[in-house]
Amino acid sequence: MVGAFLYLTVYSFKNRLRRRLQRLREPKYVIGLLVGLAYFYVVFFRRSGHRTSPADVPAIAAMAAPLQFLASLFLMGIAVAAWLWPAGRPPLPFTRADVQFLFTAPVTRRQLVHYMLWRSQIAILFGSAIATFFMRPGSLAGGWTLMAGIWVVLMTVRLHLVGVALRRLSLVAHGARGLTRQWLPLAVVLGGSGVLLATLVRAWPALGGMAGGGEVFAELQQLAGEGAAAVVFWPFLALVRLPAAASTGAFLAALPAALALLALNYVWVLQSDAAFEEASADHAEQQASRRQGPRAAVKGASATPFTLAPDGPPEAAILWKNLILVGRYVSWRTALRLLPLIVVLGVIVARSPAGGVAEVVGRMSLPLAGLVVLLGPQIMRNDLRQDLARLPVLKTWPIRGAALIRGQVLAPTVVVTSVAWLLLLTAALLGGGLRPESREAMVPGAHRLSWLAAAFVVAPAIILSQVVVQNGLAVLFPGWVAIGASRARGIDAMGQRLLMLAGILFALVVSLVPGVVAAGAVAFLAYQLTGAILILLPAVVVALVAAGECWLAIEGLGRVLDRTDPSAVEAVE
Amino acid sequence: MIDVQQLTKTYGSFKAVDDFSFRVRPGEVVGLIGPNGAGKTSTLRCLVGIQSPSAGTVTIGGHDIVKAPVEAKRLLAFMADEPQLFEYLTVMEHLRLTGRLYRVRDVESRARQLLIELQLTGKEHALPAELSRGMKQKVAIACGLLHEPKALLFDEPLTGLDPLGIRHMKETIVARGRSGAAVIVSSHLLHLVEEICTRIVIIDHGKKVADATLAELKAHPELAAAGSSLEQIFLAATAGEP
Repeated sequence: MVGAFLYLTVYSFKNRLRRRLQRLREPKYVIGLLVGLAYFYVVFFRRSGHRTSPADVPAIAAMAAPLQFLASLFLMGIAVAAWLWPAGRPPLPFTRADVQFLFTAPVTRRQLVHYMLWRSQIAILFGSAIATFFMRPGSLAGGWTLMAGIWVVLMTVRLHLVGVALRRLSLVAHGARGLTRQWLPLAVVLGGSGVLLATLVRAWPALGGMAGGGEVFAELQQLAGEGAAAVVFWPFLALVRLPAAASTGAFLAALPAALALLALNYVWVLQSDAAFEEASADHAEQQASRRQGPRAAVKGASATPFTLAPDGPPEAAILWKNLILVGRYVSWRTALRLLPLIVVLGVIVARSPAGGVAEVVGRMSLPLAGLVVLLGPQIMRNDLRQDLARLPVLKTWPIRGAALIRGQVLAPTVVVTSVAWLLLLTAALLGGGLRPESREAMVPGAHRLSWLAAAFVVAPAIILSQVVVQNGLAVLFPGWVAIGASRARGIDAMGQRLLMLAGILFALVVSLVPGVVAAGAVAFLAYQLTGAILILLPAVVVALVAAGECWLAIEGLGRVLDRTDPSAVEAVE
Repeated sequence: MIDVQQLTKTYGSFKAVDDFSFRVRPGEVVGLIGPNGAGKTSTLRCLVGIQSPSAGTVTIGGHDIVKAPVEAKRLLAFMADEPQLFEYLTVMEHLRLTGRLYRVRDVESRARQLLIELQLTGKEHALPAELSRGMKQKVAIACGLLHEPKALLFDEPLTGLDPLGIRHMKETIVARGRSGAAVIVSSHLLHLVEEICTRIVIIDHGKKVADATLAELKAHPELAAAGSSLEQIFLAATAGEP
């Protein structure tokens, strides 16, 4: 059976590679490949040319222990997160073809697990190789031990995550009885967590009295190496020591413990009694049906954003549809994933000495608003980038291409603008920069509210311009844009994405130039006539010119969309 | 109502549809049949405006699908073999969206009526993921029928339906024909075509090889020898049988 699985893995890889090479016949993929290779060259190979000088060695040695501690903390975080956070996919994510061919074949569950482990090897080996390049080992021997070490770590983590997911599945399936069946791993996890918590509670007064972060870190490092906490930390540290080994001797010394942990996790996975087949089959079906839609599953039929009137422009109907999309993909689980970020931000805010919590939140809101304006349109894709995969359906609708695009760009613009406005308002109300009474005010006196109003006016214009550019690229170069849930893979696709990003930024800058020039002219004229420096009026001019450009661009793109053959929107891997 | 004149569709050097002409009058139910790769899907996609014809014209109710697509599509409904639903919209929301796009005045009452007719009552607030394949097909058909189209195109309409669903679907198609709509049914199920279609168009290698009623096909001098069933006539017309 191993032969069959090996055959399937190797030939799947070979055919995928062949397909990627075949698509290099198209110039756009060749250009993408060249850009991707250039990126790899600059990031990995060019950097690896700068070897570590002998003078750096003591400094690096001094850093080794803290770095190992940080890495082991990271591994521990992964292990804890695996138990605490619900996984978004089953432990063994089989494809629909796997389910159809392998689940019905005379294959044992253990063999299926082995097949999935086989299949994950390509990604793990590739990841190990990339990480090795990135870390720039000093010699060939160092390179091999580093890569082998990373492979052992990644493989152990993979096995551990599968093991935890299988245990969670068993707990869900067996309810209260599951607790008795899984008593050992639960006892280990709870015991380890208890030890760490007790250590932290005991050391809290001392930690609270320390002056800086460096001192706290050093104390934590020392605590992790003492008593019962050292036992809890040992597996993570033992794993980290392998890729961190400075010599072949150190590598060989660290190898038995790391291999023992790998073997322990392997045996643990194989001994699982969880019935993963059903979850895997369901997941495979969902993945297949979602290929043309968003990545996550719909959470349920919640309320609609507004009541759709039977009459009115079709754009409003498309906005309504795409806003429903956003609402139905946000869940408590999504909110839970943001929890660590909120906790970290909370800690930073709480520890900030200047101006109190409210002011820190306010100060953080302004740069965040900027980030939302610039990055929001790339992240929020509830528009044509999502729907182009359904182009045959859209083309049967009795509406012009321009109306369709107008409707599509509205939803991301509305959502991102709402978030940006909320952050701007938070910055205005809480932050020192815009509060009239603040001593840290970044703009003088009466202009503060004008700046805020200008930001409120310009933000949606910049967001709309970006969304139109993104959707325009999807219409003009459907093969270059990730459409629906599909993502092209490979160095050429990565290069294409880099090119697209550069293109989007360039198009954004170019699209804003006429507005800025017109606004400058209006401001100059107003200054000449009244002697006043106007802020809001030029902002309105920028917004109006940008809106006009977007309208014209959409009209042109609509004509292209009307002529677009759905077969041009190729399905990527 | 549906007028196809010298339709040609090419993909690169491959001619999928070649100088294909036919008409469907109001009240007619025309069966479009042909072997795999004959050009049926390309024809249907050109008819509904998904693809542009390489040559020739398609008019729906007098509106050219290329020159006046919005007006033509407002009269049309296309029911694809694979129902394409938005996975984040419920059944009722699909109908409301369709109603708005096609400017249907009484969406709510029309929708309720169709839900009853297609046995979807109780599924109004269900998402596509909660529906069976057959039910999804019915939702797509309900959306297609909502604006009371004058021209209906069905591509393999029975796929995924249970026996009762098949019976209702046949009744629905025939009822639309009787109410004056021009209907095209593309299917490999020759017994379905034989049962519900008033006229049959056979396409092979992109070209029309027959366009007549079943009785006329049976009486055709070259096809009569093949036998009296549509299957025998089809195999003879498409040279599927030596």
